[in-house]
Amino acid sequence: MKCKRCRRAEAAVELPSHHSAFCPDCFFVFFRRQVTEGIRKLRLLAPADRVLVCVSGGKDSLVLWDVLIDEGYETEGLYIDLGIDGYSDRSKEKVLAYAASRGKTPIVVELAKEGIPIPEAARCARMQECSICGTVKRYFFNRVAAEGKFTVVATGHNLDDETARLLGNLLHWQRGHLARQHPLLPGADGGLVRKVKPLWRVSEVETAAYGFLKGIDYVTEECPMSEDATSLVYKEALSRIEDRMPGTRIVFYQGFLDPSNPLRKGAEAAAPGDAVPTPEDAPTGDSPRATEADAEEGVGSPRACASCGAPTYTETCSFCRLKERVRKARSLRAAGGSR
Amino acid sequence: METLYNAPMITVRLPQKKKELELPGPRRVMDLLSDAGVRPTTVIVTQGRKLLTKDHRVEDGATIDVISVVSGG
Repeated sequence: MKCKRCRRAEAAVELPSHHSAFCPDCFFVFFRRQVTEGIRKLRLLAPADRVLVCVSGGKDSLVLWDVLIDEGYETEGLYIDLGIDGYSDRSKEKVLAYAASRGKTPIVVELAKEGIPIPEAARCARMQECSICGTVKRYFFNRVAAEGKFTVVATGHNLDDETARLLGNLLHWQRGHLARQHPLLPGADGGLVRKVKPLWRVSEVETAAYGFLKGIDYVTEECPMSEDATSLVYKEALSRIEDRMPGTRIVFYQGFLDPSNPLRKGAEAAAPGDAVPTPEDAPTGDSPRATEADAEEGVGSPRACASCGAPTYTETCSFCRLKERVRKARSLRAAGGSR
Repeated sequence: METLYNAPMITVRLPQKKKELELPGPRRVMDLLSDAGVRPTTVIVTQGRKLLTKDHRVEDGATIDVISVVSGG
């Protein structure tokens, strides 16, 4: 099969959803155009942004960092060591190796040192690992970004992630979550930093192919804590639909993002063509558009957590509540063990 | 029969499943995936530093890697 762009070289990547196939060089052009178009359409990033790229060692986040560096953005990587035996070490190794290859040193947060390694915290708090992981990551993404004067936090969520989440929200009629789901979550006064998902237009196959062809050595094993993740069920369902009807996923998601979509009413969506805040004029808490933290904690203007000062919609932020829960469980255990 | 048993096969490695299969060739990638019970849209298939398309014909004696691209969480 020949590349459909240059029509000379042998194709290496077939993309039925785009009725296309590309040789490596043409695929790089295609992929980067998809990402930059995604950034441009939703005005996710401005040239002057300082971008904190959250990297896990997996394909999506490392590919995102790679593209943003190549596109000339000022970036730093943030790796959160979840404290998962073996897996975290191998993931960190990939992040450090990639960063070194680009002349970078990532910021590393070790949850064990922060007193909240995921597996032990989940056991103590009797909560799902993925739920704790989400809370802890969101907290550190924002804290590191705010402390480091980054203007935006970027994560490697791709089209498959976003459509799986959309399907889950639809199946459970999570109207609040639907109104807030978007590749752009504006920041707010009080230290809430804007968050973006620049890979929203590209699929997992595309990021994996890009990573492989670019020689990015990413961790291919799955997080051992995510084996039962419900998102995998939604991904499989969508993948089967995509097999039969290529292109359905992007139509599904773009249709959802359309500003005229009634499901997005109440959200001042940063949809194609809409004005999107720059770092200088990021919406304040007056904005009707909610933030990701709202999903857990509320809507409106955040205030400072009574315990740690992080932006929150409740008296104490979800991270501090979680830490307290873990601390109490540890004390009980210790008391039980000393009897 | 001897010829069959001695014939070089295609080695299909599925690292995430910690599985390795020996399948007769030459065959197209999509047929090998079908035999391995893998849906083509959930993986990339590589041979050394080369990425293979699903209609690529793999010769006997070759080793290919089937890498799952689906991430959870």
